[in-house]
Amino acid sequence: MFSSQKHAFWEALLVTILIFGIGVFIGVVLENWRTSKIDYFYQESEVKLFDIRAQSEIYALGGLDCGTAIDENLNFAGRIYEEAKTLERYEGAERLTDTLKLEHKKYDILRAILWINSIKIKKQCNASYHNVVYIYDYAEPSIDTKSKQAVFSRILFELKQKKGSKIVLIPMAGDNNLSSVSILMSRHNVTEQELPVILIDEKIKIAELQKVEEIEKLLK
Amino acid sequence: MRILPFIYLAYMFLSLYMFFFFIILFLKNKKSMFFYPKARKGYSVSIVVPCYNEEKSIEGTVNSVLQSDYPGLKKVIVVDDCSKDNSYKIIQAIAKKNSKVLAVQTPENIGRAASAKNYGLKFADTEIIGFSDADSFLEKDAISKMVGFFDDEKVGAVTCSVLVKNKNKFIEKLQAMEYAIIAWTRKLLGYVEGIWAMPGPLALYRTDLLKKMNGFDENNLTEDIEITWNVISEGYKVEMCLPARVESVAPTKTIYWFKQRIRWDIGGMQCINKYKGHVFSKLGYFIMPFFALSLFLGLLGIGVFSYIFTRNLISNFLYTKYSITTNTPLLTFEDFYITPSILNYLGVILFILGLFFVILGLSIMKEGKFRGFRNVFNLLFYLIVYLTLYPLILVVAIGKMISYKIQGKGIGWGTR
Repeated sequence: MFSSQKHAFWEALLVTILIFGIGVFIGVVLENWRTSKIDYFYQESEVKLFDIRAQSEIYALGGLDCGTAIDENLNFAGRIYEEAKTLERYEGAERLTDTLKLEHKKYDILRAILWINSIKIKKQCNASYHNVVYIYDYAEPSIDTKSKQAVFSRILFELKQKKGSKIVLIPMAGDNNLSSVSILMSRHNVTEQELPVILIDEKIKIAELQKVEEIEKLLK
Repeated sequence: MRILPFIYLAYMFLSLYMFFFFIILFLKNKKSMFFYPKARKGYSVSIVVPCYNEEKSIEGTVNSVLQSDYPGLKKVIVVDDCSKDNSYKIIQAIAKKNSKVLAVQTPENIGRAASAKNYGLKFADTEIIGFSDADSFLEKDAISKMVGFFDDEKVGAVTCSVLVKNKNKFIEKLQAMEYAIIAWTRKLLGYVEGIWAMPGPLALYRTDLLKKMNGFDENNLTEDIEITWNVISEGYKVEMCLPARVESVAPTKTIYWFKQRIRWDIGGMQCINKYKGHVFSKLGYFIMPFFALSLFLGLLGIGVFSYIFTRNLISNFLYTKYSITTNTPLLTFEDFYITPSILNYLGVILFILGLFFVILGLSIMKEGKFRGFRNVFNLLFYLIVYLTLYPLILVVAIGKMISYKIQGKGIGWGTR
């Protein structure tokens, strides 16, 4: 009796490998779909950024239209912030692959360019908006840092709700081994060890948690 | 490197494997599950009932044995382990009325079911000896259905379906489901020579084999598991007769249930320790790896769970603390936006398969009481909470085992 039954061990193994394999395959497809979605957003944003930069170049030839430049920059920053939230949500789910990490890196470069662009426009046009750059620990934050960052995100979300287009909110990872981000951080005296940090108008550095109202006061 | 998703995947793989393993065995054997061979010869049978403080149930148990339709039942040996209640008086009264009943008492309280069983074994002179707990009730045809398996000379022991008698309280209903599933899966494991326990409520053995093995191991807390492994180590097969049924009184309070499970776990670990040299040899390829793997996975599972739980607890504490400091809301609408991952989907699929497995098992075991909408909660609780408690009990059992070792203490059989 046993010899005819022992095949159940192998049969079950084969069925499990098949079903499990299909499951994992679907999982990878799902993750790739999310990555593609993010990648599509990224490409759109990248095109948009190139467009903004091209406009700046044209204006540099003469007759800068500050109104349009500021509006374009604010809209783009808003878009990048929304996409950052989507990316954060996808990254919050347990994943099998690390493809989203690369997308995150690409976005960080985009955010760095946005930051530079914001500084430029603000300077050239004497714009009234505030650059609020949130640099956080991405690679391996401790439980304490993670909790702190979750609260920082919430504070900044509230701030954005309140201030709307008066601020350009740029969240970016500060420890993603990107030279551009590292240079920008060191220019503004921000080290990886003190992350998370909020930089307001490249002058005020906030490393400790504060109430939204207190940050609001700093924007005046 | 994120290791947790891969630990989850490994658990999911193993759960899926066990699911398909049982389903394949079921599909292959569904027609023969309730088959029992008609005995070609009339074996003489004795039933030993060890008893300690069971005045409420002992009469019913002995009567259920006496009402058996098996003509070869010669003796019912009731062994009283110096009960403090009226058990022995009740047994003596039954023995006076029925010549088949032999009332015996151990010289002093030994405190172990195995010892009382061995004491009863001395009085048996039949070809087959059976053991039944003093709070278990045999169906009339249980023994008749079981003895036919002994026509195969390689069969050393036969067990049957053990079901719960008391199904009123919540904890009793959960155990009733569990017992039914255990009985069904035990039958399935029988097809691959994987039966690892002859439960106490009713099991039959070849008397000469049992005597040759010097009976039950009195140092083991689960003598029913140990004796099974011993029988297999002696080169015999064990069989499961699914249509033969016995009902047993399950622990009625959570604390008794908990103590019983601790005892089972400690006994199981004692068996692993005793038979560790027999892996892949006398015990076959299934029992020991299955047992050891269950133990390992249980411990690893509780370890991972504790890690995640503690981490989340600290994280939530810090988050709450910082949120209060900064006056930010603890929860917003965005927190309810769930982004499911493949692990979530696989988890849901496994849960549905688990639910299907339990419902299938209950319907096969004809535990119709658990059908219907009213029992949806019981079913969900059984799957989500009750089964999840197993690893936790295992950790407590390990702790107790270590503590008993240090203190040189022992555990008795009073779990109810």
